Amino acid sequence: MDRLRKPEVLLALGVIMLGIVALYETAEIPVSPMYAQVGPTLVAYIASGLLIALGLALLAQAWRGIWTSPPEETEAGFDLRAVGWLLLGLVLNIGLIGPLGFIPASVLLFACTARAFGSRRPGRDALIGLGFAAVAYFGFAQLLGINIGEGDLVVSLLEGLI
Amino acid sequence: MINRRSFLQSTVTAAAATALLPAFGNDALAQSKAAAIDNLLLFVPANPGGGWDQTARSMEQALKTAGLIKGAQVTNVGGAGGAVGLPQFVNQWKGRGNALMVAGMVMVGALITNKSPVKITQTVPIARLTGEFEVIVVPPDSPHKTLKDLAAAFKADPTKVSWAGGSAGGTDHILAGMIAKAAGGEAKKVAYVAYSGGGPAQAALLGNQVTCGVSGWGEFSEQIKAGKLRALAISADKRQPGIDVPTIKEQGLDVELYNWRGVFAPPGIKDTDKAVLIDLMTRMRGSPAWTEQLKTREWTDVFLAGDAYGKYLTEENTRIEAILKDLGLA
Amino acid sequence: METFSLLAGGFAVALQPINLMWALVGVTLGTAIGVLPGLGPALTIALLLPITFSVPPTAAFILFAGIYYGAMYGGSTTSILLNTPGESATIITALEGHKMAKQGRAAAALATAAIGSFVAGTIGTIGLTFLAPPLVEFALRFGPADYFSLMIVAFVAVSAVLGTSVLRGLTALAFGILLGLVGIDLQTGQARFTFGLPELLDGINVIVVAVGLFAVGETLYLAARPKVQASVMTLQGRAGMTKDDWKRSWKPWLRGSALGFPFGALPAGGAEVPTFISYFLEKKLSKKPEEFGHGAIEGVAGPEAANNASAAGVLVPMLALGLPTSATAAIMLSAFQSYGINPGPLLLQNQPELVWGLIASLYVGNVMLLVLNLPLVGLWAKILTIPAPWLYGGILVFATIGTYGISQSWVDLVLLYLIGGVGYLMRRFDFPTAPAVIGMILGPLAEQEFRRAMTISAGDMTTFVTRPLSLTLLVIAALLLLIPLAVRLRNRP
Repeated sequence: MDRLRKPEVLLALGVIMLGIVALYETAEIPVSPMYAQVGPTLVAYIASGLLIALGLALLAQAWRGIWTSPPEETEAGFDLRAVGWLLLGLVLNIGLIGPLGFIPASVLLFACTARAFGSRRPGRDALIGLGFAAVAYFGFAQLLGINIGEGDLVVSLLEGLI
Repeated sequence: MINRRSFLQSTVTAAAATALLPAFGNDALAQSKAAAIDNLLLFVPANPGGGWDQTARSMEQALKTAGLIKGAQVTNVGGAGGAVGLPQFVNQWKGRGNALMVAGMVMVGALITNKSPVKITQTVPIARLTGEFEVIVVPPDSPHKTLKDLAAAFKADPTKVSWAGGSAGGTDHILAGMIAKAAGGEAKKVAYVAYSGGGPAQAALLGNQVTCGVSGWGEFSEQIKAGKLRALAISADKRQPGIDVPTIKEQGLDVELYNWRGVFAPPGIKDTDKAVLIDLMTRMRGSPAWTEQLKTREWTDVFLAGDAYGKYLTEENTRIEAILKDLGLA
Repeated sequence: METFSLLAGGFAVALQPINLMWALVGVTLGTAIGVLPGLGPALTIALLLPITFSVPPTAAFILFAGIYYGAMYGGSTTSILLNTPGESATIITALEGHKMAKQGRAAAALATAAIGSFVAGTIGTIGLTFLAPPLVEFALRFGPADYFSLMIVAFVAVSAVLGTSVLRGLTALAFGILLGLVGIDLQTGQARFTFGLPELLDGINVIVVAVGLFAVGETLYLAARPKVQASVMTLQGRAGMTKDDWKRSWKPWLRGSALGFPFGALPAGGAEVPTFISYFLEKKLSKKPEEFGHGAIEGVAGPEAANNASAAGVLVPMLALGLPTSATAAIMLSAFQSYGINPGPLLLQNQPELVWGLIASLYVGNVMLLVLNLPLVGLWAKILTIPAPWLYGGILVFATIGTYGISQSWVDLVLLYLIGGVGYLMRRFDFPTAPAVIGMILGPLAEQEFRRAMTISAGDMTTFVTRPLSLTLLVIAALLLLIPLAVRLRNRP
């Protein structure tokens, strides 16, 4: 089945799936016997039902070839390596911002993103990222007293030293 | 999480302070009580600006003025009526002898409705500090002159009486349910219209969109004084000085409710730490600075410390759970 | 007139050097936090509340008002330059503003936003000075049923952002409505779509969604396309607005102000809704509607004016009746309380010096903001000449600050990046992202008002047509929907 491999078809199926998950989750919402004339599920049912219906319509369009990507999209290709670097940066950021703190996590995110966009000098990128993160951290966070993460690991290490 | 002043700095000082403590020995400890809490850590499981946050700030102010502490750090972890902050306090703040969480009745209710796995009983109750009573109001041209009129109208047809207040399952809703039940009706039938803030709820009342409103006295007091809203009853246990509004009890319904706020220590603290914290709160309560804070904020003093507070907490939990069940929320 | 002498008294307070200093600090700080996505004026003022222990009330409120107005200016800057809206009321600004920036017209977009904000802020403040009492009286007539019908009008306005395919546009809208439902339901206290995560109980922050869909999504999209990678945005032509830009901007400024101010005064109007309607209106009235979606200056001028005028409108019920109708107003009122001043209907009578000083400082702050922002326009626009690797690295770090800084929860970061992934897919397959964000804002507003109305009417649906205000709004919505259809049918050969 060649049609099944068309990205538009897959996306439409994804929309339908999302609608079904939402529908299932809506059915799970407890409806307490209450004063409220309209409960918490009505709009949730409408929205998830709508998503399924729209997904089916999209599927029909994609299947019949009415909905296709413009050639500049399909010909542009997909730069797997660049996206890989970007995703690595995002994952590192999520994983390290807690234990290491905002600045180190941001430097890695910055350097990985720069790599994804074709930069070949990670050292220079990291330095620029450090400057930017430090300005953001000390300028905004410390000035306003907002804690955007000193890093739990760093804090406990310092605590251990004392 | 939002910290005022550097968290690192405070932790280092605290660590240094605890490291020094054992050297004092028990007798010395009793004399160095003030030194033991040089730096009080206040944990607020709500965003800046709300009732718990204001309580924490008032405490910081009063304690500093009275010379009971040198400094304090307030940490806010907001969300879901405290259900997001409590697990963090119980797990990550475990054993910190100089830490207090500011919370209250709203958290008790929120934990029940959200079916939270972490319970407030996992903390060490230190003291109940303040209470705010609620008020039931109607628009000035409402036909209901007393709470009895309103209760009678509710009994006749609950769908015709709409009640405006804060979020469902909160203090306002709980009081509405208690009144309905005491009046011989069903709590579930209260046609409750929830608003996300005091402003929009007041606007609905001023614009005559709802039958009546329930909220903290402070929310409505100015509108009442200006004659824009009429107060039918307050939920205090007795008449309040300077407020010419009868209590609910006076009007024949056995209902009393305070939106109380208090402080809790994290689990795993030493008994000596607990004693020091209770002593600190008792001394703060006796200070003129605290009395002043209570006056400006229009908070009622409902001080209750230590084990008596712990017992109260258990009872309150049972009571609120029962009302929330009546409302169909638990 | 009495108002004039009171206002003159207010200026005497606001123009004292120390108060001018507070206003300057306020607008500067406000601009800075407005730029940061996720960090809004409400949180900033809350963090600064302890200042009330050490400075007099007039100074504190002049500072707070400066932060409030400043944040509205700052939010648009990042919307235009980085497609990263700093405030929810500036989401619409990103639609045309960022397109203009990509065409090298960032300076013009920033200038029309800044001047439009000044015009609207001033008109709004004049409205606050002279129209507050009658406006409040009108605003209080709106009940839940009327608000619901108003939201229906706003939903019609979504048609302006549906893009090339109505089907895909509506899919984005339905997705947004679902996102808006996440969290504890206000009316019944039940958790919806939270998947057992306590972090989701309070719902998803609309800024996280807007930044994820717009900025993170675009970053992923550009990274995935090897050919466009090297493109660095260039600045074209003269920095600032051309004569034509002025001609196309001044009417949207005025219309946006006329729309935003009364909306802000409505206790449940919301600051975002007038920006949607303004965008819709400008697209319909424009002589070149085909430019919309490709950088039409009217689409920046109108919504920007609307959001600044609504900021002034929010102060109407607060100062006239003591009603806090937005998060920021609520925090400001709690600051009144720490001075022992009880904000209420008698505020104006009891504290005339404070209130009029505050109003006068709004005029002053507006001028300061224009003077601060206009010369910086050229400088800001240069940000776009930063090479792509660093620009997008910076954007991602920037998005992290606002998201992680508030909650310190990695769950929010995961959410931001997941929504960024959805944003990538939407861009790749030509789904418009704006309906998703608008659906997320409007959906819950409409739902809550609908259910409030039904509780009050005991389940009687006719409440929407028997109330005159509600009926009028529904008729307007129907006309807005049907007239374009009728015109199209008639033009058919």
